[in-house]
Amino acid sequence: MGVKSMATLLLLGLTMLCFAPRASGQNNDLAVVVNSGNPVTNVSLGDLRRIFAGTKHSWPGGKAIKLVTRGPGCTERIVLLKLLSMSEIEYKEYWTAQIFRGEADAEPFTVPSVGMQKEALNLFPGAISLVKTMDVKPGMKVLKVDGLLPGDAGYPLR
Amino acid sequence: MPGKRIGTFVQCALLVLAVPAAGRAQTASCNDRETMTELVEQIKQLQQQDHDLLERIKILEAKQPSAGSGTEAASALSTTAPQPAEQIPSQAAPPPSAALRDWHDVHGLQWRGFGEVDYQVLNQRKPELGSGGFVPGSAGNFYTGDFGLFLTSRLTPKARVLSEIIFEEGDAQSYSVDLRRMLLKYDYNDHLKFSFGRYQTNIGYYNWAFRSAAWLQTTADRPLVMQYASEGGLLPTQAIGVSVAGAIPARRLGLHYIAEYGSSDSIRPDINGDGLVNDENNSNQVNIGLFVRPDSAPGLQMGASYYHDKISNFIQGPSLRYGQTIVNSYVVYVQHGIEFLNEGFLIRDAALHFSDVVFNTPAFYSQLSKQIGDIRPFFRYQYVNASSNNSIYNDVGLRLGPSFGARYDLNGYIAFTAQLDHTVRRGEPDLNGLQLQWAFTF
Repeated sequence: MGVKSMATLLLLGLTMLCFAPRASGQNNDLAVVVNSGNPVTNVSLGDLRRIFAGTKHSWPGGKAIKLVTRGPGCTERIVLLKLLSMSEIEYKEYWTAQIFRGEADAEPFTVPSVGMQKEALNLFPGAISLVKTMDVKPGMKVLKVDGLLPGDAGYPLR
Repeated sequence: MPGKRIGTFVQCALLVLAVPAAGRAQTASCNDRETMTELVEQIKQLQQQDHDLLERIKILEAKQPSAGSGTEAASALSTTAPQPAEQIPSQAAPPPSAALRDWHDVHGLQWRGFGEVDYQVLNQRKPELGSGGFVPGSAGNFYTGDFGLFLTSRLTPKARVLSEIIFEEGDAQSYSVDLRRMLLKYDYNDHLKFSFGRYQTNIGYYNWAFRSAAWLQTTADRPLVMQYASEGGLLPTQAIGVSVAGAIPARRLGLHYIAEYGSSDSIRPDINGDGLVNDENNSNQVNIGLFVRPDSAPGLQMGASYYHDKISNFIQGPSLRYGQTIVNSYVVYVQHGIEFLNEGFLIRDAALHFSDVVFNTPAFYSQLSKQIGDIRPFFRYQYVNASSNNSIYNDVGLRLGPSFGARYDLNGYIAFTAQLDHTVRRGEPDLNGLQLQWAFTF
């Protein structure tokens, strides 16, 4: 084996080592996913907060937003609570208040699995949800958040 | 020679890098195989559960064909024809997830309930604050305040009906029914939302945020200025008419508007226990307001509103009218478990035609609380200053003072609140009170 090829191998190995933490960071990111027919490609963090707080009810064009969330304890739920700066009990009280104010019909639809998340996203044209990057499935459209995709430096949902 | 050395060095380096990995691979290979087998098993189990849940949804859909918004998604997830329950093996019908079981949805009708049980004691027997079931002149007694049923139903994707029915305790444990809200709502989009019917006037933040549910409040009672008119509050809290609200595109400012036009007829009992009741015979009222929720400061909301109406005075008779203008502004911050509410009001009553007398009644309250575990200690200071010559609010006069206490959330449905009040009154001795409250939602 020549010196050059050995050096190349070493370089490759080191490069892979360098990228390993990035890949791990990407795995920790949560993707904002919507129905594949939704024309929206980017959402601002402020709008995302408004959407998941139930104060923004429709997509541009008037299509009603349908929130699909995961249950307490899931990574998706923890990141959602972080996004809204709420604890689980505050989140529950918040939605009870939203319903009582007349700002919402019901609490966000909570599903127990990624498979059901995918089905809900397919069935509701206005659906939006958070999923782990590794759980993104064909048929889920990933939105940019403030122009950033999961894995990009500065991506806010992790 | 140097090339050979470099080659050896590189080989050593690769060996150093590779040996631990290989070691790990060797030692972990058995564990990995076991882990992989376990994971595959778990995946199979999860897939089976997923499948079972979908089957269960099909059964539920078959049983409940007209599901509403809460179960709408659950029903809609079923894309194939429902199967009879008998065809589903018993092990394929696990208890459905709590998420799929929305007890608040009955054939498309969403319902909620709120209630409270209170005990209040004052340090003097002089009649005072005889509202909400509290017996004026008693040293202390139990009462139930407001018991509310809240119903909504979606008619179309953009239209729905909302109603709030309150059973309100009155004198001698009698109860009256008040249709506090009954609205036909039509949301064209986020920028244009209409409500027709009986609404709560959006003067200020408190009325919008807490409505009439004690469970939603941090404190045991509302600030006096925000109290319902039927319980001695100063503001016209209800009207029948049309309300339009929505977001104004303003990039990251989060600007919203509210405009209301309606007929109100406030009847408020004097809060000094003299037994008098003021019927304001209001005209049509107009209320406009703006508020912002800036992206740069999540949790912050600032707003202002302007209200105008014509009212009469009970004592002077219905023919003598006052122009009533209420200006409000507020700054609130609700985030990270902190609740910081600050609202100021100026109620201006100007005699129309019969005199040029004008009464200005300033009022404000400030409330601070912080969630610490299940407990939320709070502090509130309130101030109302009505002229003693103002025959509309002469029962109120000057009132100011602090309230403090704590709310303890037993769970997401029941809360216990203990509150101490100290009220300074013009021409009357200071008043101290203790309120204990169980508030709940169901």
